[in-house]
Amino acid sequence: MATVLWLQGGACSGNTMSFTTAEEPSVVDLIVDFGLELLWHPSLGVELGDNARKIFDDVASGARPLDILVFEGTVIQGPNDTGRFNMFAGRPMRDWVNDLASQAQIVVALGDCACWGGVPATEPNPTDSTGLQFHKRAKGGFLGSDFKSKLGLPVVNIPGCPAHPDWITQVIVALASGRAGDIALDELHRPQTFFKSFTQTGCTRVQFFEYKQSTTSFGEGTRTGCLFYEFGCRGPMTHSPCNRILWNRQSSKTRAGMPCTGCTEPEFPFFDLAPGTVFKTQKVSGVVPREVPEGNDHLTYMAHSMAARVAAPQWSKEDMFVV
Amino acid sequence: MTAVDLHVSPLGRVEGDLDLRVTIQDGVVTSAWTEASMFRGFEIILKGKDPQAGLIVTPRICGICGGSHLYKSAYALDVAWGTEMPENATLVRNIAQATETLQSIPKYFYALFAIDLVNKNYAGSPLYEEAVRRFAPYVGEHYQKGVILSNKPVEIYAIFGGQWPHSSFMVPGGVMCAPTLSDVTRSLSILEYWKNEWLEKIWLGCSVDRWLENQTWEDVLAWVDENESQYNSDCGFFIRFCQEVGLDRYGTGVGSYLATGTYFDPSLYAHPTIEARNAALINRSGIYAGGEFFEFDQARVREDVAHSFYEGATPRHPFEGETKPIDPADGKKQDKYSWAKSPRYDVPGKGYVPLEVGPLARRVVAGAPGAAGHQDYDPLFVNVLAAIGPSIMVRQLARMHEAPKYYKWAKEWLGRLDLRESFYRKPVELPDGRGFGGTEAARGALCDWIVLKDGKIENYQVITPTAWNIGPRDGAGVLGPMETAMIGAPIVDPTDPVELGHVARSFDSCLVCTVHAYDGKSGKELSQFVVNGLV
Repeated sequence: MATVLWLQGGACSGNTMSFTTAEEPSVVDLIVDFGLELLWHPSLGVELGDNARKIFDDVASGARPLDILVFEGTVIQGPNDTGRFNMFAGRPMRDWVNDLASQAQIVVALGDCACWGGVPATEPNPTDSTGLQFHKRAKGGFLGSDFKSKLGLPVVNIPGCPAHPDWITQVIVALASGRAGDIALDELHRPQTFFKSFTQTGCTRVQFFEYKQSTTSFGEGTRTGCLFYEFGCRGPMTHSPCNRILWNRQSSKTRAGMPCTGCTEPEFPFFDLAPGTVFKTQKVSGVVPREVPEGNDHLTYMAHSMAARVAAPQWSKEDMFVV
Repeated sequence: MTAVDLHVSPLGRVEGDLDLRVTIQDGVVTSAWTEASMFRGFEIILKGKDPQAGLIVTPRICGICGGSHLYKSAYALDVAWGTEMPENATLVRNIAQATETLQSIPKYFYALFAIDLVNKNYAGSPLYEEAVRRFAPYVGEHYQKGVILSNKPVEIYAIFGGQWPHSSFMVPGGVMCAPTLSDVTRSLSILEYWKNEWLEKIWLGCSVDRWLENQTWEDVLAWVDENESQYNSDCGFFIRFCQEVGLDRYGTGVGSYLATGTYFDPSLYAHPTIEARNAALINRSGIYAGGEFFEFDQARVREDVAHSFYEGATPRHPFEGETKPIDPADGKKQDKYSWAKSPRYDVPGKGYVPLEVGPLARRVVAGAPGAAGHQDYDPLFVNVLAAIGPSIMVRQLARMHEAPKYYKWAKEWLGRLDLRESFYRKPVELPDGRGFGGTEAARGALCDWIVLKDGKIENYQVITPTAWNIGPRDGAGVLGPMETAMIGAPIVDPTDPVELGHVARSFDSCLVCTVHAYDGKSGKELSQFVVNGLV
């Protein structure tokens, strides 16, 4: 039986809400079938009052063993490095994070905020928010680049805004069933099994990308084409399994006609939401995408594009996702 | 006389931590202070950003209401840019907003509210064993079904919006999607499955239409006893349990209500403006105060920060609103105690008053006379208030009553989608303008005010339902709605004040309590959870 303590800092509860939509396993399955012992959770916790505070104290002191600490939300350090923008059970939340992380066998940062600061850390970062072990792409964050949990692992980052429920439930089951050794992390501490692939991997629009055919507009314009060329889609540059493991068992943003916003990458929200950057592809000389798919450069991209357009068959210029 | 102060930290978490302090005399709450204890500064982040930044940022204010945040932020931009809205886009937005709320109703009831009904305080009740069988966390038979089936409505959201939570698929001028035939047929099938498996089979014990025949409190009581199926449904059981343990007798609140309304008739809101909004709403807006109904006018809203951790002396309208945080350590010296601002509304003839928002507010406003043909008219909760007054039970029943209504509406809107017609009209992106967008999140009125200048956001202010309900005292010292609702709550066991949890959660400001015990007179913290007899 693995013990889990789940806390939220500068959070919206989105990862918790996403987690509650999980099936196979569901939240109930995790607890009833996999014997997960949820010591405390901000919305699903049963313990109240003295029992809850006692759990935090006992874990912080080492009196009660903790297998997995899940943290959702940013670590808030303001104002003036006091942490007082986020008080929890009588103390700045960051002090709890410090005490509890040092006692956990494994520390999981769930969602962008906990991984690298996310939306609250967007310029001008009014709360001095940061992630557990990264600030945006820079290693360090709140716990520092040398931090290792008791099992000798760095913070395991499960990003996304929010993270898909399967990304956390499958990792919890893996940890709870003794497969911690199978969780290989990439350079951003993300489990590779989920984050090696691209958001574009499995996207229904990938044939249009192949032939460089653009979606023409939102709404009915998304019955055809790829969202990369005009609408700022970051699918080819973003690592996630959004089109391999569908959302709510049904779809994904790009399938439904919404450009990927790159929310599993540390820079999200990209360009700090500067005027002109939302749902619009940034271009060089008004034509070529400023960012090309990972591993390409502008010259090879342009050569490939020209050939692809020439090769584009008639069907790639027509609607595909029709009534 | 026994006087005790309890400090409950944190009490609720919807969009940040909520702490609660109450004074208890002779076992009854006599005063309360609600303290939001976390600040993230979203309104500051939005300044100077792309006009559409709110579509990405505001859903992240609250993961539970992200779709509602998207809905009203899109309408705020529609108003600012003067967009044209295809009928399909209005319908898809309505469907998405409704499915988020339909998800919230059972999830909130079982995962966040009903688990307190198995508190040991009620172990002496003859209904206790049955409550445990149904509602015990994780293992209760209906807890399991209710929590898992609550996922179904947002599967429909994902079909149109790609995912739930946190899509940004509503944009000025419409929606990003263009549904196919099977998107619609699958959505209908999911909706029917949810209705059959949870709403009718577990919650109501009867058809949706039979429940909606209830027009008065007498009707509801007769409905409970009408047959075994209804008597033993979760709704029938819940009403009986509340009456048995007294949840129909406290948690009254301010008794004045605000709904900003939601869902538009597609033909009446093809050109979103502030002026056309009230008449185009299906779920109406309005105010009910001092026994009278008033029309909602966004110009009458103010935010007071007298007891909030912000700079500023005078209450401001959100178009001129400011968000300048101060260190809570300094704020406490000025009697400030919360990160929530105190929204107030200028009711004609009554001045600036606190108003309760949420399902009960919506249901009361739905009973106002003068509904147009496309608008919801529903007299049930005006009658319930007249018959038994507001309480924890009534607030909760109002929430549940919306499930059959919104189910029927969502089904109707799905049926009206014309798949061969447009879902989006590209807008002209005006560099300057002002917009107001509002909706009803599951837990109440939710509105944005946006000011654009030179192609970027000059000011952005959001008023959430949680701010309306849990906001602190205003400059005149008037308590907020939840603070008021705490007064009169009987506390059986101060070391486990489940009654405070019930009141707070009836506002759907849900979740957990950690409790510190304070000495009521000196304000000194006592040894943890040991309440000295302060006689």
